[in-house]
Amino acid sequence: MRFSTLLRKELRECLPWMLLAALVFLAFGGFFLRALAYDQRHYRYYPNFSAGTLVEPGQLTQHTPLLLTGSCLFCSSLGLGLILGVRHFWIPHFTRTWPFLLHRSAGRKTILAGKLTAASIALALSLGPVWIALYRYACQPEVFTVPQNFRVFIEGWIFIMLGFVAYLGTTLSGLSTAKWYSTKIFGLALAAIVIIAAILQWRLVSAFVTIVIGALLLLSQIVDTFLNREF
Amino acid sequence: MSEIVLETEALTKYYGSTLAVDHFDLKIPRGCICGFVGRNGAGKTTAIKLMLGLLNPTAGSSRLLGCDSSALTPAIRQRIGYVTEGHRLFRWMTIGGLEKFQRSFFPKQWDDKFFADMIEYFDLPKKKKIKHLSNGQRAQVSLALALAPNPELLIMDDPTLGLDAAIRRQFLEGMIELIMRQGRTVLFSSHILGDVERVSDRIVVIDRGVLRANCSLEQFQKAIKKVILSFADSVPDEVNIDGLLHCKRIEKQLELTLVGTDDEKISEWAKSAGAENYHIVKMNLEDQFIEFTAPANHRRLFQWEESQK
Repeated sequence: MRFSTLLRKELRECLPWMLLAALVFLAFGGFFLRALAYDQRHYRYYPNFSAGTLVEPGQLTQHTPLLLTGSCLFCSSLGLGLILGVRHFWIPHFTRTWPFLLHRSAGRKTILAGKLTAASIALALSLGPVWIALYRYACQPEVFTVPQNFRVFIEGWIFIMLGFVAYLGTTLSGLSTAKWYSTKIFGLALAAIVIIAAILQWRLVSAFVTIVIGALLLLSQIVDTFLNREF
Repeated sequence: MSEIVLETEALTKYYGSTLAVDHFDLKIPRGCICGFVGRNGAGKTTAIKLMLGLLNPTAGSSRLLGCDSSALTPAIRQRIGYVTEGHRLFRWMTIGGLEKFQRSFFPKQWDDKFFADMIEYFDLPKKKKIKHLSNGQRAQVSLALALAPNPELLIMDDPTLGLDAAIRRQFLEGMIELIMRQGRTVLFSSHILGDVERVSDRIVVIDRGVLRANCSLEQFQKAIKKVILSFADSVPDEVNIDGLLHCKRIEKQLELTLVGTDDEKISEWAKSAGAENYHIVKMNLEDQFIEFTAPANHRRLFQWEESQK
């Protein structure tokens, strides 16, 4: 009950940013998708694979109309992750609400779990449905003649996970009591390294493993810092 | 001896090289209303945060309700009410929302009727968001939230700071509600000595991180006194009387502020110094506090424990 109360509170704090991220992604992602569909219909700007053509998988990914939309998802996800990290761990410091939140019949672990769970739900719920909707739109044969690659769809979820890594990085930096020019940026720097390492992976499994390892490293630091930090 | 609900032992806190709390030894018995006073930056908030386990001590320890502050369990925290400095609450929540949020952490203790009565007494609109409330209204919400779970120990960090006289009075009356409940202990820090005088039965004075007094309010008020001595010729150059806090020469008069010096000793010293006559002036708590914590008197320790009565 205490966890669900904390979760609801954290989700409510995320809500405006969830809506904003979903709208931004829908607007830009949808715009690029529509623009590409229009280009293809009128100018045949993109390669038109006819039946019987031998197509390399890489070629499909390269020409997928979801490439620009995927970039929008990547940016929206990182942006939302950063904002949620600031909302959850930087703002309470400025508004001095930490003592009010921490002095209650719930352990620090429960309070932290509430925040982390809320952030992961917020990222998945705000960007996931929009991504599914745009993918389904792009899959319609009357919209694009180029068949959609399912790999691109999975890549989208990898981007959402990267948003969570950005959240963890912001969280760790927010919890650090060091100076901003000192080790305070360690969290953000580690998150940036994990994100770059993940997008450099060609295989999705490698990207996933990179994210999991990076997230675990960040999480272990966050838990230790949050449980022992002074507020 | 009554049960000790709050206890610190050589509690010390450094912020970098700055000493905020210095070997703070405090014992608060159950059922007392304790005013925790000190000048700005004396270390009141730091001491309170150390007691609540929100800060880690550099040295020493503290215990609340028999549990070490650094390991306060959710069950123990449930028994301790805390009103934060500045009444920092979640600004986006409504009063009703905050009540619901807070209630879920005290499922068995929460007194719905008491909270509703307090909100009605303070005339607070339940649907209003915290960010739209005045400072005084936030203080009232904060107090109602802290009192509704009926805590055994209530710790308040400067709860009346920035409130006008009318709101302060209402706030104190709300606090008295809790005091009326038997066996409840309150520790509240304040700059306003009038508030302390009105509701406390015990006073704890902290000065530059050092505990200067921990005694009943009555003892404190009796202990600090001003003596005006008149001399026929000139006032003596040297004043060496026990418990001297402050000495002021005005023409042929000598004004002494003393702590813990009994009337007999004053009489003896007046005779030996050749005073024509002397009289003891009653001081109010504010004057006593100012004299007692004057920078020149730093570390002139005065600590009356119950055993010294």
